[in-house]
Amino acid sequence: MTQVKTPAVMELIGVQKSYAGNPPVEALRGIDLTINEGELIGLVGTSGSGKSTMLNIMGALDHPTEGKVRIQGQDLSALSDRQLSSLRGRRIGFIFQQFHLIAGLSLVENVATGVLYQGTSRSQRIKNGIRLLTKVGLGNRLDHLPHQLSGGEQQRVAVARALMGEPAIILADEPTGNLDSKTSEEIVKLLHQLNEDGSTIIVVTHDRELASSFPGMVTLRDGLVESDSRAQ
Amino acid sequence: MNATINSSRVTLRDSIVLGTLGLRTRKTRTLLTALGIAIGIAAMISVLGITSSSEAQLKAELDALGPNLIEITPGDSFTSAEVSFPSETSKVVQRVGTVESSAAVYEVEASVRRTELIPKQQTGGMAVLAVDPELLSMIDGVVAAGRFLDSTTVGIPQVVLGSVTAERLGIISVLGSPQVYLDGTYFTVVGILENAPLAPNIDRAALIGVEVATELFDLELQPSLVYARVNEELLDDQRRFDETRSVIAASVLPNAPNEVLVSRPSDLLVARASTQDAFTGLLLGLGAVALLVGGVGIANVMVISVIERRTEIGVRRALGALRRHIRLQFVCESALLAALGGLGGVLLGAVITIAYARSQDWIISISISSLGAGLGLAIVIGSIAGLYPAARAARLDPAEAVRPRV
Repeated sequence: MTQVKTPAVMELIGVQKSYAGNPPVEALRGIDLTINEGELIGLVGTSGSGKSTMLNIMGALDHPTEGKVRIQGQDLSALSDRQLSSLRGRRIGFIFQQFHLIAGLSLVENVATGVLYQGTSRSQRIKNGIRLLTKVGLGNRLDHLPHQLSGGEQQRVAVARALMGEPAIILADEPTGNLDSKTSEEIVKLLHQLNEDGSTIIVVTHDRELASSFPGMVTLRDGLVESDSRAQ
Repeated sequence: MNATINSSRVTLRDSIVLGTLGLRTRKTRTLLTALGIAIGIAAMISVLGITSSSEAQLKAELDALGPNLIEITPGDSFTSAEVSFPSETSKVVQRVGTVESSAAVYEVEASVRRTELIPKQQTGGMAVLAVDPELLSMIDGVVAAGRFLDSTTVGIPQVVLGSVTAERLGIISVLGSPQVYLDGTYFTVVGILENAPLAPNIDRAALIGVEVATELFDLELQPSLVYARVNEELLDDQRRFDETRSVIAASVLPNAPNEVLVSRPSDLLVARASTQDAFTGLLLGLGAVALLVGGVGIANVMVISVIERRTEIGVRRALGALRRHIRLQFVCESALLAALGGLGGVLLGAVITIAYARSQDWIISISISSLGAGLGLAIVIGSIAGLYPAARAARLDPAEAVRPRV
C-alpha cells in the first residue's frame, strides 16, 4: 500500500454521496476539503445542507458514492468493515449531541469504554479514564452514574471518552445542541483548550455564531462547500 | 499502518463484564426472564434428585435387610425338561464354606381357601409352601400377629399366612383361631407375616410345616427354592462372591451346574426400582418443555433489548467495536441471563429434592454432576437463544449513533 506523507489529517477529494430514491437524493455533490493537524474548524450548514452526511463520511461511519476520503493518508475506500471499525476506534473521537453515555456504567467506566475495543488492559483504561475525567473537571465524581449528572457534565464525560484513544481527529456533532447557553460556553471553552493542547477538532453545527467562534469555518450549502474561511 | 487498523480486539473477560451491563440496568426484566429457565432446570433437577434419593433409600433399606441373602432356584435345562433339586439341597448348600445358613421352600400341590365351599380353581394367586422354621430369620421376616411355625408343631395342621394372602382371605388377626381350608383339611392360622421385601413370593403364600405337607399332600421333597445367607465379607469382593455362586451351583447339581440359578433378591429389586422410569421420563420431558419456553422467552427479551439499545450499539461501533464484538456482547448477555436462571433452578431443584426426601424420611441423594449439567444446559440454551438477537445487533449500521432520535 502506498502511503503519502502529508500534514493533512483528513482529506476529502471529490466526495459525492447520493441516497437511493426516486429521484435519488444527492446529499453531497463533490466536496474537496482538507483538514490539517492542529486545526479547530466549525462546519456549518442549514438543515439539508448535507452536514449530517459529511459527519458520517468523515467519521468513517459511511462510504461515499464517489470520491476519496483519506485519514492520515489512509484511503478509506480500500478498507473492510472490520478495518473501518478499528480505524474509528484508533483515529477518530466522537462527541454526540445527545452525549450517548452508556447507562449503567460509572463515569470512569464510560470514559474507559473509549479504548475498550483497542485491547488496552483494564487497569490502563481505568488509569487513563481517571486522568481524563480529572482533566475535564469531574475527577471527584468517578463512580457516579450518567443520569446523576447535568447535561453539561455528561458532555464533559463524552469529551473525555473521545480523548481516550488519542485520536488524530475529534468529530463533534452539535456538541452544545442539548445544552443551555452557560454550559454551552463551558464546552466550547473546553474544545478550545483541547485544541491548544494539540487536538484537531471539527465541530459540525447549524449554529453560525458558534461556528464563527472557531479559528476556521467551512460553510456547506446544498451538498457543496459554499465558503471556507481558511482560503482567504 | 495496517497493523493498527486491523487490531480491534476485546478480551473474553471484558465481553463477560459487558454482558452483565444489560442485566444490571434492567433488573426486573432480568429476573422475570431468568425465572422461565429456573423453573425448567428446577423441575429437571428435582425429578432426578427425587428419583435418585428414592433409589438410595431403597438400596439402604435392602442393605439393612441383608444384601447377603441369595436365592437358589432351578433354572432351565438344555433339553427343556424340568430341573428339580435333590431333597438334600439345603444341607448341601450349607456345607459350602462361605454360606452361613440356608432354608428350603417346597411347593405344595394344594390351594388355600377360606372354606371348602369356595371352588378349588379360585386360588387368588396364592400358593401353599412347605417351609423349614428357619425361613423366617432367613428372609428377615417379621410376624405381624401370632407366631411363626416352630419345630415342635411342624407335624400338625397349622398355617402361617403371608401378608398378601392374609389380606386376600380377610384374616387380620389370629384371635379366635381362624381356620383356612387346604384341599381336604382345615388348618388353624397361627401367624400372619408383615411384608417381606426380599421375598415377595412369601407374601403371597400360605406356609405350612414340611412334615404335615408330606403326610397330607404327598409332598415330593424337592425344594423349589433354597434361601441362603452368605458371609458378609463376600459383599465387598465381587470376585469371591461370584466364586461362591459357582461353588453353590456346582454343589447343588454337580452334573449340571448351569441349570442352577443363584441370584440376589436385593439386586433384582434395585434393578426394578431404577426401571420404573416412565413417570420420571414424563416429568423430565415437562422440564425440557419449560426450558424450551424459557429459551424462547430469552430470545424474545434479547430482541427487544437490541432494539432499545440501537444507540448504544452505534456508539460502540463508533468507538471501534467490530461486528463480532457486538455479537459476542449480546450472546454473553443472553448466556449470563440463562446462567442466572440455571443457578436459581439448580438451587431450587436441590431445595425441592431435600425437602421432599426429608418429608419421606429418605436418604438425600443429589449428584453434583446433575447440578453441573443443569447449569451447563441453561448456558447452552441461553447462548443459542442469544444467537439471533446478537446477529441482529451486529448487523446494525454504525451510523445509528449519530441518527437523531425523537
